[in-house]
This record gives sequence, structure tokens and C-alpha cells, in this order.
Amino acid sequence: MLKITNIHKKYKTAEVLKGVDIQVAKGDVVVILGPSGSGKTTLLRCLNFLEHADQGEMEFGADRLQLASASAREIAKVRKKTAFVFQNYNLFQNKTVLENVTAGLILGRGIKRPEAEVIARKALAKVGLSDRETYYPLQLSGGQQQRVGIARAIAVNPDVILFDEPTSALDPELVSEVLAIIKQLAREGTTMVIVTHEMNFAADVATHAIFMAEGNIVEQGSPQDIFLHPQQERTRKFLRRILPQVEYNI
Amino acid sequence: MDINYQFLEQTFYLVLAAVPTTLNLTVTSLLLSLPLAFFMALVRLRRTRYVSGFVGAYITLLRGTPIVLQILLIYSLLPSLLHALVGTLGWTINVFDWNPILYAYLVFTLNTTALLAEVFRSALGSIERGQMEAALCAGLTKVQAYVHILIPQALVTALPNICNVTVNLIKGTSLAFLMTVKDMTAVAKVAASYGYNYIEAYLDVFAGYIIICSIVQVLFVFAESHVGRFRLIKQK
Amino acid sequence: MRPFAPEFILAVIPDLLPYLGVTMAVALGSIVAGSLFGTLLAWAKLSASTLLRRLAVAYTYAIRCTPPIVLLFIVFYGLPKFFLEVFNVNINSYDKIFFVVVSFTLLFAAPVSEVMRSAYQSIDRGQYEAAVSSGLSPWQAFYHIVLPQAAVIGLPNFGNSVLSLLKEGSLAYTVGLVDLIGRGQMIIAHHYGAYAIETYLALALFYLLLTLGVEKSFLQLERRYSRQKHNGEEAGYGY
Repeated sequence: MLKITNIHKKYKTAEVLKGVDIQVAKGDVVVILGPSGSGKTTLLRCLNFLEHADQGEMEFGADRLQLASASAREIAKVRKKTAFVFQNYNLFQNKTVLENVTAGLILGRGIKRPEAEVIARKALAKVGLSDRETYYPLQLSGGQQQRVGIARAIAVNPDVILFDEPTSALDPELVSEVLAIIKQLAREGTTMVIVTHEMNFAADVATHAIFMAEGNIVEQGSPQDIFLHPQQERTRKFLRRILPQVEYNI
Repeated sequence: MDINYQFLEQTFYLVLAAVPTTLNLTVTSLLLSLPLAFFMALVRLRRTRYVSGFVGAYITLLRGTPIVLQILLIYSLLPSLLHALVGTLGWTINVFDWNPILYAYLVFTLNTTALLAEVFRSALGSIERGQMEAALCAGLTKVQAYVHILIPQALVTALPNICNVTVNLIKGTSLAFLMTVKDMTAVAKVAASYGYNYIEAYLDVFAGYIIICSIVQVLFVFAESHVGRFRLIKQK
Repeated sequence: MRPFAPEFILAVIPDLLPYLGVTMAVALGSIVAGSLFGTLLAWAKLSASTLLRRLAVAYTYAIRCTPPIVLLFIVFYGLPKFFLEVFNVNINSYDKIFFVVVSFTLLFAAPVSEVMRSAYQSIDRGQYEAAVSSGLSPWQAFYHIVLPQAAVIGLPNFGNSVLSLLKEGSLAYTVGLVDLIGRGQMIIAHHYGAYAIETYLALALFYLLLTLGVEKSFLQLERRYSRQKHNGEEAGYGY
């Protein structure tokens, strides 16, 4: 459904993405792992044009476009088919929880308010925050804010949801509530691309895992392949460092 | 545009000659108001019963009225008042002979004191209580604590605002001509009325103020980096 | 010395009152026009064009170093000359209030552009990114998400600029405009210099009430619009 070929991105003199290809089929949960500086977040942000790639091609459903020269219209179209969950939530500070979720529907997609609110409430119910509708982001804990961020993403019914290290900014005891929701979404067949450090979670939820380092994909495959039988030394080094002993439940 | 460049040049030198007066007004008023403002800030922070209210009223009055009005008031009130005072005391001083710059010093000092008092209050107030407590525990007296610990830290916060107040003071002195003081603006006005070369004269004085303000701001940047040395590591 | 007559202070107030309108008209006109021009300057400071940025910054710097009275004189004497020679249009007969408002507009725009720029830049870029990721257009993201937050942040500083402008507006009488102070000078001249102190005190009263009124209004506005932040502190992050 979504395919990127040969994506390149440079920051000043350093090349952050050195010709990466990635493919996402409907219902896939693609997990991207790697050390910091590997380019995984940049890759994710290029997918909905928060960063602009220098080179590369995108096939999204029936649309085909060049990443470097995409027009504003093409970009808007891609953004309407995707949703993004940020590491630091980025909830709209000046809007209530409900308004945060309806903003994309009312303003971005022209849906009328009553209908948008119905959709939003369903999404909020799904993340377990129906009773916090009228609260402002500053009144919520980190875990709650991120759950609103997820509700905001699922409300617009995107073809794929992009997650940028969704739990990295959370206190440890709040991480599991957010992961639980993502797992639930995976079970329901939501297509997702997730950049994360949570290895157990990644092993649990992924249908496809990608390991990146220094702007390249080092290895990719099914979770079994990557976590249990890593072929590349670089992958093994990374997994060893992150988890000395681990039990995956794949 | 038709500008009399010869006049422009001549007047510029006249304006430059008046710069010392402007600086005189600025520096004197600033130096006089610094200690006064500091004590006012302390009074306000301590909230001493009546004094704090009085100081607060003073500050509100001086910040809530235009400086031109303060100048007009003082200049119409003080000479006659002093004259009457001198008369009743039987002294033979002629008050009206006094240099009008004294009234200018008074007005600008009163005004700047009010502004600086607020700056100091907020800067001192932003220092954590723990600093004073730690100093006292280490055996310093209150005065030593202020001099060695609190004021240096407050100064870092306060300096940009003091720069602002100073720049505003320089601009404020442009009104000293109302008290017949021969500052830069007064000189420009006089030069302008000679040959009706208004725009040239005012452009000159405009340039003059920009030069002075720029120099003052550069000085403050030096001061800020010097005083804030201990902050350099904490910056980002 | 003429005895001080406090009753004159009250007596002169009805005489001055009608001219309050002139003072306020000058202030309002300068604030509105100055805010518009200031928005343009702020936009220029944030634009990609180095030339625009430098021009806007230079303008702000120059105005910040200029005494209001000097700017007033430059506009009052210079603008007619400029219009005459460049556009061949004679504006010498324009009402003085025109020059006063132009002058204070130019004056007000400089600090306002700084207030706007710094408020805008203090908003985390993530807000914009989240908005466009949700499908909003860049303009919608700015107008519905970034601008409201920036406005709340800039409000206190904008209020300070307004207060400064009110006080600087008192200089208008020096070019002959008959506003509050202008009228006050007329009254004093009418009495051959007597009652100067009383008149000035009455004027001080007017300005004091004006500035206190504006200050209170802005505090109210600030309180109302940062409701969201206060809610957070009161509710204690409802875990």
C-alpha cells in the first residue's frame, strides 16, 4: 500500500538517509529499530513530509510522487491519508481534549462538528479517556496526553499511523498504558509504522521489523528473524547492548 | 530630496557639542537613582507597613504619568516654591539664577528611581530564598550576603532591563529643553529655527541619538557578559 | 507667589474633559495603525529574505533609539517636504492630528513587531507539526493553533507597549495639537501663567486614571485567556 524507494536526505554535510527502501502492506505493523543517529526518526518524518527528502519516490495507494519535488497539494493529500503520533505528544495546548481530536476532522477534512464529535468520542473511548473530554492538555499526565495523541490519530481513520518513539518521553509507570493501546490497534489490523526502543513491545506487536544504522537498513525481516536469528553482526551488537538477556514472546 | 547638506554638516557638529550635556543628565540621574531604587525595592520586598505602601504609591504615580507632565509640573512648581521658601528663611539667594539643569537632574532622578525600583524588585525577588539562608548559615551577615551573593546574581537578571531604562532615560533627556537646558534636542531646535532648516537639524539629532544609544548598548553587552560569567555553562 | 488653589484642579476638569477624546483618538489610531504596520514588520523579520529581515531589524533599532519628540518633529516638518518633492502633493494643510498619528504609528510599530515576533517564536514547532499532520493546511495550522497561543503569550508585553504609547502621546501638544495637555496649556496661557500647577495636577489625574484603567483591563484579559494554564495548576494534573 505504501512504498518508498531510494530515499536520501542530507543535513548540511552529513547524509542521514543513504538510499533506504521501505514497504508497508495493509495491516502491517512495521517496527523500526536502531541506535540514535541511525536516521529512523528522519525516515518516519519524511513519510508525511515533516522533513523533506532530497531524493526518492513514494507510491501511496494509487498515487505516485517524487519526494523531493512534491507539490503542496500532493503533500496535503498524503497527510490526509496518514496520522502522526509524536514523541512529546504535541497536543494543541489551546484546545480541550475533545477539540484536539476533532481539529483534524473539522478543519482538516471539513466534517461538520456534530458528526466529528461522535467520531472523536469513539476514539477517546477506545483509548479510555472519555471522562477527560473537557480537560486541557496541561491538566493531564504524560501517558494520558499521549493517549489523546493516539485518539487524535485514529479519529481521522488514516491508511497508516506513524509513531515516533511514542513512549520515550513517558515515566516508566505510564509506558504500559500507551503500549497496551497500540497493541490493541495492532490486533484490530491497523496499519502502523513505529519507531521505538521498547524491544519486548516491538517483538510482540510487529509483523515486520527493520534495523537501521548510519542511514541504512542493515537488516529486515519478521520479528523472529531479527530478534532471534539476527544475521548481521551490527544487528547482533545492537541487540546485545540493549538487552543482555531477554525473553521475547513472539 | 532637497537637503541643505552644508547646514546638515554644520548642525551636526553643534549637536555633537551638546552630547556632553545629554550624557551629563543621563549619568547623573542614573547614578543618583541607583541607590534610591535599590532601597525602594528592598522596602517593597520586605513589605514594611506604611513605607511600602508609600513607596508603591510613589512608583505608581511616576510610572502612570507622562514624563513631560512631570517636567512641566516640577518646572512650574519648584522655582517659585523654593523662592518663597528662601524668602521666608531670609536668605539672599536668587533662586531664579540657579542653573536649570538642577531641576532636570531632579525630575529625571525621580522618574528613573521609580522605574529602576521595579526592575530591582523583580530581579531580587527572583533569587531563591535558599541563597540568603545558605549565606547566613555560612556565617555571613545580611549585608555581606547581599553584597557577595544576592546582588551579583540579581544583577545578571537586571542588567538587560537596566539597559532599557538607560536607553529610555537618554530619550527622556530630549525633553530637557522644556526646562531651558541646552541638550542635543534644544540645540537642534535653535539651529532649525535660524534658517528654517528643520528637517536637517532633526535628522542630525536623530543620528546623534542613534550613535549614543548604540554605544550605550554595546557597553551594556560587555557588562552583561562580564557579570554573567558564572551563567555561561548553564546557558542552554 | 500666588497661593495654591486646590479647588481649581476640580474646576478645570470639565474644561479639559472634551479634549480627552482627542488624546484617545490619537492613541487608538496609532495603536491600530501601528499594530498593522508592526505585524508587517514582524512578518518581515521572520521571512526568508535576508534583505527584508535586515530592513525590519534596522527600522526597529532606529526607532528604539529615537526620542519620541525627535520623531514627532521629523514627521511634522519632514513629511510635507517629502510629499511635496517626491509626489508633488501638498499636505501642509492637513490637520496636525494626521502628523501626530503617523508619527506615533511609526513609533508604536517597532516595539509591537518585537512583541509579535518573540511571542510567535516561543511557540513550540511541534504544535504546527501536529496540526499539519492532522490534515490542517499550513494557514489553518497558523490561524487556529499557533496564533491563539502566541497572542496569549504576547498580551502582557503588548499591554506595556500600549501604556508607553499613551504616555508618549502627551507630546503631541509640542506641535500644536490641542489634546488634553494642549488644552491645558491654553488654559494656563489664558490666565497669564497662573494656576499652572493646578492645571498640571488635573492633567496628571487624567493620565493616572487612563493608565490605571488600561493596566487593569489588560490584567483582566490576561487572566481570562490564560485560563487554560491556570486550570492545570489548580487541578493538579489530574492523574
